[in-house]
Amino acid sequence: MNEEIRSTQAAMERCGYIAEPAIATAVYLAKEMQKPLLVEGEAGVGKTEIAKVLARMLATELVRLQCYEGLDTNTALYEWNYQRQLLRLKIAEREARDPEKLEQLIFGREYLLERPLLRAITRREGPAVLLIDEIDRADEGFEAFLLEVLSDYQITIPELGTIRAEHVPLVVLTSNRTREIGDALRRRCLYLYVEHPGFEKELRILHSKVPGVNEQLARTITRFVQRLRTRDLRKRPGVAETLDWTQALVRLHSDALDAETVHATLGCLLKDEHDIRATAEESVAELLVYATAPE
Amino acid sequence: MSGNSGLSPGAHGIVAQLAKFAGALRGAGVRVGLTDEFDAAAALTLVDLLDRAEVHRALRIAFKLPRDAWEIFDRLFEEYWDGRRAPQHPALQREPRGPAQWRWDGERVHLAVPDEPPESAGERYSPEAVLRRKPFDQFSESELAAMEKLLARLALKLATLRSRRLVPTVSRGIVDLRRSFRRVLASDGEFLKLARRSRPLDEARFVVLYDTSGSMDAYTRVLLAFAFALRRVMKRVEIFAFNTRLVRVTRMIAPAGIPQSLIRLSAGVPDWSGGTRIGGCLAEFVTLYKQTLIDRNTTIICVSDGLDHGDSVQLAGAMRELRARARRIIWLNPLLGDPRYRPEAAGMRAALPFVDHFRPAHNLESLQGLLRLVA
Repeated sequence: MNEEIRSTQAAMERCGYIAEPAIATAVYLAKEMQKPLLVEGEAGVGKTEIAKVLARMLATELVRLQCYEGLDTNTALYEWNYQRQLLRLKIAEREARDPEKLEQLIFGREYLLERPLLRAITRREGPAVLLIDEIDRADEGFEAFLLEVLSDYQITIPELGTIRAEHVPLVVLTSNRTREIGDALRRRCLYLYVEHPGFEKELRILHSKVPGVNEQLARTITRFVQRLRTRDLRKRPGVAETLDWTQALVRLHSDALDAETVHATLGCLLKDEHDIRATAEESVAELLVYATAPE
Repeated sequence: MSGNSGLSPGAHGIVAQLAKFAGALRGAGVRVGLTDEFDAAAALTLVDLLDRAEVHRALRIAFKLPRDAWEIFDRLFEEYWDGRRAPQHPALQREPRGPAQWRWDGERVHLAVPDEPPESAGERYSPEAVLRRKPFDQFSESELAAMEKLLARLALKLATLRSRRLVPTVSRGIVDLRRSFRRVLASDGEFLKLARRSRPLDEARFVVLYDTSGSMDAYTRVLLAFAFALRRVMKRVEIFAFNTRLVRVTRMIAPAGIPQSLIRLSAGVPDWSGGTRIGGCLAEFVTLYKQTLIDRNTTIICVSDGLDHGDSVQLAGAMRELRARARRIIWLNPLLGDPRYRPEAAGMRAALPFVDHFRPAHNLESLQGLLRLVA
């Protein structure tokens, strides 16, 4: 393995993210090729976490843009601080001032509210990490607009002129695939598909995030969850759910899994009423046998 | 950055190999563009070329392969990267998918199944005689009139939906400070009138996919009339009929009246009352029309009993793709009007997970319920 990918992996791990080689490779390539990284995968596999860890790793600022239907440029790019501009105008009424100068003043940088995209490209101290979360929720029109920003890293504000990126930010986009991301945007990025972690990885994540858990319980929990994911569920539990469940079991001072505890805490793991019912009725006993069997 | 990261002279063999590899991916139906090849080449300069697993990972990332293309990628990677390239690639021998398989004669699309012996194809998909014509003239006038009245009442509501975006408006809406402020400058610092924004009305789009197979016979006339009436009140409706073939019938429907349209249709749709290949027809619809006809404002209405003679895996695949692009999918099943009916046919079971609303459509009342749903 390339030395730098190995060190990327180690650095991510130091920042609390257990990365498998594919993730480390993607992060390294995105950094070196200065391309945005599009991360897809089921909910709860740790897509957003990649960006957070990246920011921690590079000791830089994480700028986050949460997408939603109806997201527009006012919330994504910039907005003028109207209240402040108004106040300034009121004050200006009493002084006789050159209107042109006044206009220049109230459309100056101090009256500009930076929204995430603008913030990410104007950071002076060094490249920021820009997280564009759940891009699949924004309208397709916004995707097209994003394409423009991500190709030139510049933003034009009519009253102020064009603002160029001080440093090209490291961009991470995530998508839950509620709709297909347009080909044009995908082409502009590197693409990483994250799957649910395997047994070893999940076990390590458990140990690093829930330090108080004993080895035997952690192994049982991991085996239980891994097996549960192979079931036909409406919403399969992610790592976040495994961690919640482990936290709950540690709080309850359970050293081993038994049917009663599982039934009582199944809500930490499954977030769909139908899944809970089906699992509680049919498979808890069998999953327990599998999870607690000697390896 | 991808363009200027030069390769070392020794890497040229790899670049040639990469181009061949990308070609093989394309041949296997994976969408790989030139920029992806550039990215892949750039990525290869950054990784350890002797580490097979690492090259594999890097290429998958740089080629931007979605999860469902991994299998093909893995297989081709094995062949190309380990120098074990077979002389004839199996992926290239597979039956080509996509437009090549379909013939367009200006009015409709024909499904070409030349690889299969024609008799067996006929037996498999069309148990009944081919190209049988159905008399349309028995359609009762009063039924049609009732349908049209019903639809006309709901027409406006049906044809529009509200967008979540905010756009400038002259009437009511929330205050738009950005534009208000620019106006203030014109009027010397006074707010004479506030600019406002509100949610615009987006025109809804409908695509009706219509099963005209034999098992639907009893319902076909009324339900088609329904689709026609939709067409009359809305501009953006596309109607397709399918049984063993997919036919775009939108243009066969004259705004003048339903009876004339029905006559034209009877002439235009082959294999009326034959068997069904829902999966194949939907897959074809996806290949040919998803880009142009399906977007976030599109409601897909599929009218079928789900009694399929084709491949239910293919059906599920097509439904998944439609689900990913469309606003919602409504499945109308006339059999659902019967309280004893359970959706247990293989085709229906395959499609159901991707359907937003599963509704009966056996009488006027159920159609009225549908209108409330889509309005």
